[in-house]
Amino acid sequence: MFGASAGTLATLAAPRIITARGLLTEPTLDDLIQRALAAATKAGASYADVRIVRMRNERVSTREDRIDGVSSSEEYGVGVRVIAGGAWGFAATPNVTATEAERIARSAVAIAKASSSLMKRPVKLAPEPAHVDVWQTALVKDPFKIPLEDKAELLLAINREAMKIPGVKYVNSWYAGVSEWKLFASTDGAYLEQEIVRLGPGYSVTAVDDKRGEFESREHDLPPRQAGWEYVEQSSLLADARRIAEEAVAKLKAPSVTGGKKDLILDPSNLWLTIHESIGHPTELDRAMGYEANFAGTSFATPDKLGKLRIGSPILTFYADKTTPGALATCGYDDDGVATQRWNLVDKGVFVGYQTTREQAAWIHEKRSRGTCYGDSFASFPFQRMPNISLAPSPQERSIEDLIAATDDGVVVTGRGSWSIDHQRLNFQFGGQTFWEVKHGKKTRMLRDVAYQANTLEFWAACDLIGGPKSWQLHGSLSDGKGEPAQSNAVSHGCPPARFRKVNILSTNRRSA
Amino acid sequence: MAIPTEAQAQRILQRVLTLARATKGADAVVSLSGTQAGNTRFAVNEITSSSDVERLTMSVTIQFGQRSASATTNQLDDRALDDVVARARRMAKLAPANPEAMPPLGRQTYKPARGASDGPTAATSPDARAKAVGTAIKAGDAAKVMIAGFYEHEARMHAIASTAGLWAHHAWTTAELTCTARTPDATGSGWAGASSNRVADLDAPALAKIAVDKAVRSAKPTKLDPGRYTVVLEPAAVADLLGFLTGSFGARRADEGRSFFSKPGGGTRVGEKLFPETITLRSDPADVQLAAWPFDREALPLAPTSWIEQGVVKGLAYGRYWAKQQGKPPTGHPGGWILDGGKATRDELVKGVKRGVLITRLWYLRSLDPQSILVTGLTRDGTFLIENGAVTRPVTNFRFNDSPVQMLARCDAMTAGVVANGMRVPALRTNEFNLASISEAV
Repeated sequence: MFGASAGTLATLAAPRIITARGLLTEPTLDDLIQRALAAATKAGASYADVRIVRMRNERVSTREDRIDGVSSSEEYGVGVRVIAGGAWGFAATPNVTATEAERIARSAVAIAKASSSLMKRPVKLAPEPAHVDVWQTALVKDPFKIPLEDKAELLLAINREAMKIPGVKYVNSWYAGVSEWKLFASTDGAYLEQEIVRLGPGYSVTAVDDKRGEFESREHDLPPRQAGWEYVEQSSLLADARRIAEEAVAKLKAPSVTGGKKDLILDPSNLWLTIHESIGHPTELDRAMGYEANFAGTSFATPDKLGKLRIGSPILTFYADKTTPGALATCGYDDDGVATQRWNLVDKGVFVGYQTTREQAAWIHEKRSRGTCYGDSFASFPFQRMPNISLAPSPQERSIEDLIAATDDGVVVTGRGSWSIDHQRLNFQFGGQTFWEVKHGKKTRMLRDVAYQANTLEFWAACDLIGGPKSWQLHGSLSDGKGEPAQSNAVSHGCPPARFRKVNILSTNRRSA
Repeated sequence: MAIPTEAQAQRILQRVLTLARATKGADAVVSLSGTQAGNTRFAVNEITSSSDVERLTMSVTIQFGQRSASATTNQLDDRALDDVVARARRMAKLAPANPEAMPPLGRQTYKPARGASDGPTAATSPDARAKAVGTAIKAGDAAKVMIAGFYEHEARMHAIASTAGLWAHHAWTTAELTCTARTPDATGSGWAGASSNRVADLDAPALAKIAVDKAVRSAKPTKLDPGRYTVVLEPAAVADLLGFLTGSFGARRADEGRSFFSKPGGGTRVGEKLFPETITLRSDPADVQLAAWPFDREALPLAPTSWIEQGVVKGLAYGRYWAKQQGKPPTGHPGGWILDGGKATRDELVKGVKRGVLITRLWYLRSLDPQSILVTGLTRDGTFLIENGAVTRPVTNFRFNDSPVQMLARCDAMTAGVVANGMRVPALRTNEFNLASISEAV
């Protein structure tokens, strides 16, 4: 399903969608694109691109024995982004007609010109071959063609299983399917059609102790993926329902953790989010350069530290990619029309790379963009967004059980809990879904109220053991926020389990207070 | 294209209701929302992007008794309207019965929020945005600091109609300007921001001046030991923390035993005095500066309501289904939150502190324990030590682990309220605030 190689079609003088293996059913869009690009150029744009985007969402949600929401949404529109007078301008409309596209193209140029007198460094784009291609998520069963009853029945079956466990009082379960179809064309000759399908099913079980007035919840950890319905069918969502429910009840009865420095063993279902926050965000080049200072913040990983800063122990190599099949940020081309790639951000513990766009590559003297530009709808200005970022496994096979066996006094954390990190990505505090005490190489009992708090550089320096290839898992999130106005991005992170020595463990128990 | 007028919205929604009625036994609730937004971002003392965008959402919920489903589209041509109704109808027929389904709401009476929509705000041009942003950039250039920020204005409308005769319509505008200044050595950072329903209320040079001044004064901070401190929280910090409390007023979760307002052994904490008498927390749908609506998402009329009055919990929020189950009147889900302020000035708050910390704003707040509304997060963009009633020096930022409940319970002085993060809140002084660990981030 992956597109033809970049160079083969790049030499075409006047690329047309007909040269791609078409998903496209409305050839009038081709005319719209040409007219919008021409209008932008005529109005004074030195560069322009057009994105026509159709987003479809399907969502089913339930609680206990009932369906509490069934919805299907569609959003369609066109956005034109231009550079004029060295400044960006962007305009968008839901009216997908050639006349409207020409109007917003002219409007985008006027917006850019309004900003141009305040530009100290005119925007320049790194060169990229003019790709003409089609790319689609590899899938067997289109989830949008699966009957609603099948989705509802799966969720209600999960709820029934979970509700059988004494002490369980509430279950919420959900299914979300997202289809993102887009057509991108630029005055640099790119002409790209892509369709990305993402799924995110899950559930949360709540146990309540009425007498003590206490409650605890446990969420299932099935990662969202770029996939077809077969991913849900083959998953253990239903098979896990009793265990997840039992763990919610056990959590309610578990003793609170005693705070202090302990060895921490993080399951991939928890570690992925720590990677996202402490490695993913700091290596966004716009953030490091101050472009997100007003909202998301800046970064400890500034360009002067590239190739020098030790971020973690030598067993750690983090790579970025938008090519791993099934990962949420994977696609053929980014919203600059750049072919997607894989590269290292941290090599054997040393900070070596950034996430970039065509605008940003030259900021760190790179000749080509890393292809990480994205806008989350037709009406969103595309900018730098996180690719999939993963921790490479140890070459030596090693499981989480091996990590536990090698640990004298520690805590194992699984699943995504509460997470918070400062605006330069240094001080973080994370929770989880389940917590287990480890004593003398054995998992002894469940704990509750656990959070681990650390400084990014000290934390990764304290990592002394990671799992092998068989322990590596791909997790992720359908929504990661950045930018003003805020935009959402879907992104995956793969990792093995890992051990960290002497990390600060806190108790978040406030029930007695 | 401007956003649809009330008459246009009525025409479109009536057409969709007619399409929905064509199916025997179908009830329907339909809504239309429109946004016309303009924004300009700036960073590193230049404009980084600027956009004008239009968005629409048409939503159709079809009900066959207890079976219902919703479909949305942003296209308003005949084919799209037929399709959205057909999608909702098809899914509603397939959807399992929901015993909690309520029939569509009929005609309601709403108190209009006068002056919610401001013409000049809707008509703000990219040139006007660039001019305002230019003054902030100039302030940054003059002080030799880096300045970044965001200026946004929106004209919006939302209308809801039903086969039972409901008609709800609200149009409003919003405007926001925030800026962050940073010293070139990256050791100082300051923030200021304002929001309103009128761009005329946004004073770009004044906000830039506060941000620049805070950046310069916060440079080269020194470390202060983590611990429990008396803190003066500026309005943006108060609003961020308070949002976790205002989001906890749902009656259903309290009745189900999974909320701060649940009482151990059953029941709720309504009627309990949990806060000092100075604490009154209200919602006012007529406060147009807060972009509040006269109705909620279900189209239930919203009335001005006190949720905490002189320290006593006065009530919880009921949607239609839970109100019926519990035999209570539905309150709707409130917006337009107001924490009544006091008479102190900001300087007086500081004067009353022997040793404490002044906090400008907070970042990355996350719930740690919904039962006690324990929240973690960080301070940023202007954190200072207060000694013997005066701000003495900048200190490094902190991670805090504390609760808005405790913030209010231990509050001993407040200024008058201002608009911050969509609420009207004062700056306040509170005690024993848990600054749990140091963050070296600037």
